Amino acid sequence: MIGLLVILAGLGVFVTATVAIVRRAEWRLRPGPRNTAGLASPSDDPVGSYVDRVAASLALPAADVRDVRAELLDHLGDSIATLEDEGFSHDDAVREAVGRLGPAPELGRQLSAAHQSTRRLLAGAGGGVFAAAGGFVVGYLGGIGASLLMFIGAFLAAGLLAKVGFAPDLTGPDNGSTANSLLISMTIAVAAATSIRFAVRTSAGLSRRAPKTVAGFWALAGVVVFGWLAIFGVSGQQSWYSIPIELAVPFIAVAAAFCRIDRPMPHIARWAIASFAVLVIVTVAVLGMATQTTTGSDAGAFNGPEPDMHFDLVAAPAPAAWLGEGDLSDSGSSEATGSFGTTFSIDLSRGASANWHDLRFEAWHGLPNGDGIDTRYTAAFLIQPVSSEDSTLTATLHFERIRQPGSWWVFLTGVGPDGRRYSLDNSGGGTSTFNGSAWDWITAPQ
Amino acid sequence: MQGKIRAQLLKGTTPLLVLSVLRDGELYGYEIAQRIRDRSGGAFIPSEGALYPALHALEADGALQASWRESDRGPRRRYYKITSGGLAMLDEHAQEWATFSVAMGHAVGGSDR
Repeated sequence: MIGLLVILAGLGVFVTATVAIVRRAEWRLRPGPRNTAGLASPSDDPVGSYVDRVAASLALPAADVRDVRAELLDHLGDSIATLEDEGFSHDDAVREAVGRLGPAPELGRQLSAAHQSTRRLLAGAGGGVFAAAGGFVVGYLGGIGASLLMFIGAFLAAGLLAKVGFAPDLTGPDNGSTANSLLISMTIAVAAATSIRFAVRTSAGLSRRAPKTVAGFWALAGVVVFGWLAIFGVSGQQSWYSIPIELAVPFIAVAAAFCRIDRPMPHIARWAIASFAVLVIVTVAVLGMATQTTTGSDAGAFNGPEPDMHFDLVAAPAPAAWLGEGDLSDSGSSEATGSFGTTFSIDLSRGASANWHDLRFEAWHGLPNGDGIDTRYTAAFLIQPVSSEDSTLTATLHFERIRQPGSWWVFLTGVGPDGRRYSLDNSGGGTSTFNGSAWDWITAPQ
Repeated sequence: MQGKIRAQLLKGTTPLLVLSVLRDGELYGYEIAQRIRDRSGGAFIPSEGALYPALHALEADGALQASWRESDRGPRRRYYKITSGGLAMLDEHAQEWATFSVAMGHAVGGSDR
């Protein structure tokens, strides 16, 4: 409990620090009203025209450009007044004052270089990395919150539909795979977008570079880091609904870096972020505890077989004479090993083994609730030859790498002395869900 | 010809001149240029095109701190104030300049040390 509180407090401090550093950098990117009063410079005026040309050659954030414009206009005003006092006509004074500042593009180039010191570049890089990490946390929490709101909306819609006689089953068909996979993929997508947005704005503000100048770097970093994370790095339940979102994450990162990047980010109060974070964390913790025993890829066993289960579709039962009475020790056992597969083992005496070859475990699609073999299928969806150690035959079946394993039944089959394949034993049934990365899903053998 | 030589000699000394005049208090850009000219009796007139890049570079390095203030002329003005880092930088530049000018005097004057 104390550990959880420490983690929550640390997360809160980290998020608060992130918001603070982003805000500080954002200040440089906002034009702001403080420098605008009285500084409108008509472009047909030689002074205004000169300052416009200097400003156009500045590769700086908006606030810096406004500062430079204001400072040059102020300087030229003073300079012209002094020259007029010295006897210059107004036009000559303007020409002389502008001439003393030198060519506009050269002054703009020198001013840009003066602003973009190595110190500020390092601050921009460090601040950008910090903001990217903090933005990922903020976006992650925001993504979870958005997903939860979407699910609440879906359940409310389902409730309304139920009232008019149409009751969609939102969780039953795939053990929640679709919902969980959507939660994961949407969370990553929102987190990637927020992280890159925070990083670009912070880097630009602290390094005094225009956001579009640093956007390219962060877009590339986002494609590499978040693209890898979404497609290869994050393992979990997947579905055809989540895969497009995960594949789109690199494009989302690029869009977050470039699209309207010059516009300020919406202001969100710190207390609102903190309250939202606490709400999301508590909700997730409660939901996690409530669903801990019903989710995941581990195999869950059905009860024993009943009549009319259509097991004869697999193969004809093995003649007892070839098994040897009492040789098959039991109906099999399964050991769920999470994402590393489900292992089945059966004891078969050496005498009985001599009658069989090409022994293997076959997994067949089952009907929901353990009601036997799904008769729409005429072949096993997963086959694994056995390995034998003494009298124990073992095979590991990777249901977690099958896109839609759902309900299944596993049988030990082998080729008998007459050259025909028989079913030696039904090793039980269960349910599983896919558990892997988006790339695992795409390359799954199905 | 004399102006060109002076401009060449002034190259690289703008930060030193700026820090020197700001040691006495806050000034804005045009005032800094005027103060340098007055102090040198009109001998040093820094290039105005070089003044602002130098001011902004010193600010980026932490030697100066800039702030906007109301002015009697209308628009706000940007005032510069020297920081503790700027004072240290000024001492360092001044020492270097003293060593350099003595050595240059010897070299140009032809006298042996």
